[in-house]
Amino acid sequence: MTDLLLENENARRLIRTLGLPIPVPEKLERAKGPYEERPLDDKTVLVGGAGGLQSVLAQVLTKAGANPWVVGGSDDALEPYIGPGEAWARAPRLVEPGEAPEGQRVDAIVFDGTELESPQDLRQLYDFMHPWIRRLSRSGRVVVLGRPVGKAKKPARAATRAGLEGFTRSLAKEIGASGSIANSVFVEEGAEGRLGPVLRFLLSPRSAFISCQPFHVTNLAKGEEAPETHVLGGKVALVTGAARGIGEAAAELLAAEGAHVVCLDRPADDAACSRVAQRIGGSVLLVDITDEDAAARITNDLKERFGGVDVVVHNAGVTRDKTLGRMKADAWDMAVDVNLGAVVRITERLLKNAVLRPGGRIICLSSVSGIAGNRGQTNYSASKAGVVGFVEALASQVAKKGITVNAVAPGFIETRLTDAMPVAIREVARRMSAVGQGGKPEDVGQAITFLATPGAVGLTGETVRVCGGAIIGA
Amino acid sequence: MAKKHNGSRNKRRAVIVRGVRTPFVKAFGKFLKLDSIDLADVAVRSLLERTDVPHDEIDSIVWGGVILPSLAPNIAREIALDLRLPASVEGMTCTRACASGLQAVTLAAAAIERGEADVVIAGGSDSTSNAPLNLPQRAVHALAPLAFGKAPTPADYIGVLSQMMPITEILPKMPKIAERTTGEVMGESAESMARRNEITREAQDRFAARSHHLAAAAIASGRFDDEVTPVEAPDGWVHADNIVRGDTTFERLSKLRPVFARDGTVTAGNASPLTDGAAAVLLMSEEKARSLGYAPLAAFRSWAYVGVDPADQLLIGPALAMPKALNRASMELKDASLVDMHEAFAAQVLSVTKALASKGFAKARLGRSKAVGEIDEDNFNIYGGSLSIGHPFGATGARMVTTMANELATTGKETALLGICAAGGLGAAAVLEAVN
Repeated sequence: MTDLLLENENARRLIRTLGLPIPVPEKLERAKGPYEERPLDDKTVLVGGAGGLQSVLAQVLTKAGANPWVVGGSDDALEPYIGPGEAWARAPRLVEPGEAPEGQRVDAIVFDGTELESPQDLRQLYDFMHPWIRRLSRSGRVVVLGRPVGKAKKPARAATRAGLEGFTRSLAKEIGASGSIANSVFVEEGAEGRLGPVLRFLLSPRSAFISCQPFHVTNLAKGEEAPETHVLGGKVALVTGAARGIGEAAAELLAAEGAHVVCLDRPADDAACSRVAQRIGGSVLLVDITDEDAAARITNDLKERFGGVDVVVHNAGVTRDKTLGRMKADAWDMAVDVNLGAVVRITERLLKNAVLRPGGRIICLSSVSGIAGNRGQTNYSASKAGVVGFVEALASQVAKKGITVNAVAPGFIETRLTDAMPVAIREVARRMSAVGQGGKPEDVGQAITFLATPGAVGLTGETVRVCGGAIIGA
Repeated sequence: MAKKHNGSRNKRRAVIVRGVRTPFVKAFGKFLKLDSIDLADVAVRSLLERTDVPHDEIDSIVWGGVILPSLAPNIAREIALDLRLPASVEGMTCTRACASGLQAVTLAAAAIERGEADVVIAGGSDSTSNAPLNLPQRAVHALAPLAFGKAPTPADYIGVLSQMMPITEILPKMPKIAERTTGEVMGESAESMARRNEITREAQDRFAARSHHLAAAAIASGRFDDEVTPVEAPDGWVHADNIVRGDTTFERLSKLRPVFARDGTVTAGNASPLTDGAAAVLLMSEEKARSLGYAPLAAFRSWAYVGVDPADQLLIGPALAMPKALNRASMELKDASLVDMHEAFAAQVLSVTKALASKGFAKARLGRSKAVGEIDEDNFNIYGGSLSIGHPFGATGARMVTTMANELATTGKETALLGICAAGGLGAAAVLEAVN
């Protein structure tokens, strides 16, 4: 079912004209086509904060095509931006702290809070954001940068760092109505060079439905120089459950970046799966992942046909909802085995036989309702929360090989599954997010694709929620 | 310190023997009735007369053009046939937007270096005045079945008419220099480059005035007499370039209105005008030139062509091509005695010189720790450039090669660096060296 408030222009106009107390969600700007050299072409990005990331920001923003507006008291603030600005003809502009000049708008706001030490320092965040937050364009972006809380030696410093995340989450709820998002990124000391691709993603339309989310950029996994376009050229990607929905969207986006995608689905879905594979120039692999020999067959097939695999997307999933007292054992088994058991078996087999190549990427599908808990989904939540634990633990084990392991947790996404929900529940669920609408399969596909890129090497063991800043799901 | 360049000593060297061009004339003016081939004929005929090169020694003609005559796009061959050169003088025509002329000359040099030819005439021409007005594809598709299909019935005519509504959709479109991929007119690209590189209106107008003054002085001094041949047009003889305004001033230029944006900085005064003209260069292998008794003017030490994203800074290419050519010649910018850059727009020239002088640009875009360098104004576009002399697209490269080759030969200076920007985000550069 289409979202009336989003898709129907007449309904939108009527509500606005009559001044009905119904918040009309803003249409989200979404990316078209593959990764670009300058994802932020001609966007105005307001930067501030006195942290040590300014020179990285200068390089990343100007190269991505953004016009940096630097908030600072003197020309010294511009210093890191001069050279990169000349290189890409994106001269920085100095903005006086305090009142925002009349009529000026910005497309994104980035705060570097990496050097905040004490709770009083958080005031800098207020001083920087307060004059500008209402000048943020529609589908705007806010990114707050900090250092990891766990690495702070002093409790006061840890408190300050943690404060950044809370600030960002609340801000996300305030700016969601205009289709804008806010996220925080915690950059480990020495991992500054890995921030670029994350920023390019979070400031671009590719992250349209990701909000309230903290990211942790680390040095954990080994990595090399990453391309900025055609980011998956020459890679082989396996997507389970590729016949439709999120799997299909992910397969398409991975292929658009140059990956050869092996579309896996159940033999019963042969027709749909083949259609997807044919459209994107990929291959088909028909396996029921709950079969006993599924892991072996998948591993052997990838080894024989492609000599290995670089990206594995564990997308196949099922729900078998019933309250625990009414749930049959086979409903429990089915959900837990497809969503978690098979994921573990296949991954372990791929790693054991070294079919997943060094520098590989594993992306598992978790779920916001899985994390938050949901009535009638004890089995589902067990499996989807299990995925979170799985990626956390596995990440550190395979980091030496340059392999990253992450989970993507979709919130309310407009798919066949949600179309089948009762109208009232669906309508409530949609409006639960900060951006006041459901996401699209491509939004999840974009997150999966980003985590699959070589540039996302700084992220591992993470669970990225693609929920538009949903109320539930922490 | 630049290394001494020895590479060309070990292999066949292509030398420039002489160059000639027509006067460069404002489009839709005195050359209205002369198309690109007519202008090319004049330039090449004059080159043959002035050098007296035996026609049977000529191996081929390589020609560059942008607006190619659709009925005879291989201008090079048409020149040979028009001038009744021996049938063996083969010809090819190349196109690389505004770098077409330089492309033709470097193709000729490459063929000579490879031993494919000994004597080649290269150059380029363009006549904006004779740009064909294309029928929109929709009209062509609608009309073609009538013209070339089975015998049409009255119903077919009505069917065709109905396809051609509304009438404005099928009127011929005025030609314009717009990027195919971005739809941006070149002046808009220059405007955006001026904004992004912070090139002021004043700097652009001052540079344009400088170009006019230097070109006017060169013409007045007779500097171009050896390089320019008079042309007999239907309305009489044309002896000199007619775009140069020696009497223009910065103040006068600064009164012109911006063309491409209301609050913009690019005007008709600081942009190169649509121009008709042709330029031709005679190249030979060094041995052949000497054996025929010619004193070569100059030779190529290197050249380079680059591409940049046209959706970014369309005309920044020379900032990448010039360092590349210098690198191939084992030179630094300061080693070049002369620098000659095509002036598509004052904003483009100043954006490129700014990038060359920037350490940040050198680090990020060229992978070098130091800036390429500041261009010494005294050695830069010493006789003006396309802003004042004009810019018949395909001819400009050959004009620059000719002027710089003559300059090296007459002044004893050692090297000249050439830079040209071109549509599609292309950049071209070459290093010329004196031949003793």
